[in-house]
Amino acid sequence: MQPKVNILFIEDERNILAFVTKLLYGHNYKVTTAATGTEGLQLINSICPDLILLDLGLPDMDGQTIIQQVREWSDCPIIVISARTNEREKVKALDLGADDYITKPFGSAELLARIRTSLRHSNRMNTSSDQLFRPYKCGDLVLDFEKRTLTICGKIVHLTPIEYKILVFLAQNCGKVMTYSSIINNVWGPYADDNNRILRVNMTNIRRKIEINPADPKYIFTEVGVGYRMSEEH
Amino acid sequence: MNKLLHNNTLFTLTLLGIATALAFLFFSFVSENTANIALLYIIAQILIARYTNGYLYGLFSSVFSVICINFFFTYPFFRLNFTLSGYPVTFIGMLIITLLTTATTSRLKKQTEILAKQEKQVQIARQESLRANLLRAVSHDLRTPLTSIIGTTSSLLSDGSILSDAEKKELLENIENDSSWLLNMVENLLSVTRINDTVTHQVNKTPEIVEEVVSEAVQRLKKRFPSASIVVHVPDDFLMIPMDAILIEQVLINLLENALIHSGSSHAPELTVTDHPDHVAFCVKDFGHGLNPDDIPDIFSGICHNTGSVDSHKGMGIGLSICKTIIDAHSGYIEAKNHTNGALFLFTLPKDEEENIPCSQK
Repeated sequence: MQPKVNILFIEDERNILAFVTKLLYGHNYKVTTAATGTEGLQLINSICPDLILLDLGLPDMDGQTIIQQVREWSDCPIIVISARTNEREKVKALDLGADDYITKPFGSAELLARIRTSLRHSNRMNTSSDQLFRPYKCGDLVLDFEKRTLTICGKIVHLTPIEYKILVFLAQNCGKVMTYSSIINNVWGPYADDNNRILRVNMTNIRRKIEINPADPKYIFTEVGVGYRMSEEH
Repeated sequence: MNKLLHNNTLFTLTLLGIATALAFLFFSFVSENTANIALLYIIAQILIARYTNGYLYGLFSSVFSVICINFFFTYPFFRLNFTLSGYPVTFIGMLIITLLTTATTSRLKKQTEILAKQEKQVQIARQESLRANLLRAVSHDLRTPLTSIIGTTSSLLSDGSILSDAEKKELLENIENDSSWLLNMVENLLSVTRINDTVTHQVNKTPEIVEEVVSEAVQRLKKRFPSASIVVHVPDDFLMIPMDAILIEQVLINLLENALIHSGSSHAPELTVTDHPDHVAFCVKDFGHGLNPDDIPDIFSGICHNTGSVDSHKGMGIGLSICKTIIDAHSGYIEAKNHTNGALFLFTLPKDEEENIPCSQK
């Protein structure tokens, strides 16, 4: 039997802790819980979990501190749990190195999907880089990294080099939200202007090219105030 | 305070200096009529009384004027002589004029101050009563689903063993519906606190792309109502306008939810965004039974009058009053009306001039 994936859940609300623990047990994950940041950090150091679920509002320390400390020595995926109205907090957590976030209150299906996505990404990093060159497929859309082409229903869609770069970055991180600044750093380089208008103009043009109805997208979703998320492959 | 004193003194001295200088010019070049000279000083005194605070400056200037006139402009020149016949009357007259002007202007100032204060109090009181009304409406609306949740859970806990699986499922679904409704209401209320955070009732605006905000609102609504279909039209141009995206999303969600739930029709509602020279208009149309014309004038006030109506618009009032608050805070405009076959809600958001020019890229 395959060894169970070990998830550490750091959260101070007892009811949420109980419900998530039951849910994850039910889906064959091993769950360890911590109610405070200090306890969480100790557990991270001692058990080296495969994934960390982190609530940002902890009684004894700021969740951001935990992300920073973990990132000093580990690439273990971190999913942040945060309130919806706090965009700045989410962006900060993601830019500090969190892999994804989920907004409170969340449904169980959504949480499980996020966990699967993050685990898959971390596995991909650890195993082969081959998969990174496998074409990205989602519905009618195929992005071929080798031929550097984008096709929808078999028809080639013309993209500018910048648009192609943005799409590749989002597709390689599909399912996860990418902040404006991480996309800008990746596409324009670390010395690019921090203003995200140019990125958003490009995104609008991409949407015009790939979405049938840009206001009701199928491939690229906006997380307003945070960044963009490309749909999972299917 | 010190600066004010300084300013007042400077103002008084300058005006008296100008008056004296003019008086000298007049006296030496035009005529040696002391009455005209006195008039010049009176004008200076009235101005001083009007534009300084307190009696002190007015009094000082009137005494100064009297002495000046006596010293410079009456015989014997450059000497004080208060015994000339008729002059005491002039001097006393000047003193009285100054005192009266000062008294009137200072009373005027005090009155405007009091008026401003009263207006502020009235405004605060109005806000307080608005808040109280909202709180009352909210608590009333929250109590209903909470009662149902508590009742359902306790019956599940106590009679769980005698209920069939189908019955249990139905009860659990009721709980889910009620709690997701509660959640939406709480999101609404939280969004209002985002406005009240700032004293000026203004929101924190950042330039946002209209279609991104619209698409996120539609996505979030579809998460709650997976079977819902909504027809969305946005202009092809790149539209970026300043707004608090979370709040505008909330408005869109509230309006679309009303169109889905309360229209009494299964026809997909329509959301249309149109671009205008100085604003962007968002229009939500449903194809149901429309609004009761009697309700339209008060529809955004947060109070639902239609208690007798069969269709209990659970929470619709609060949602709409929150929409109005949000749009007002964006200096926009919102209205509700009926079109030929259903209800129509329209709101506008102003474009910011400086944001507008570089982004109208076609």
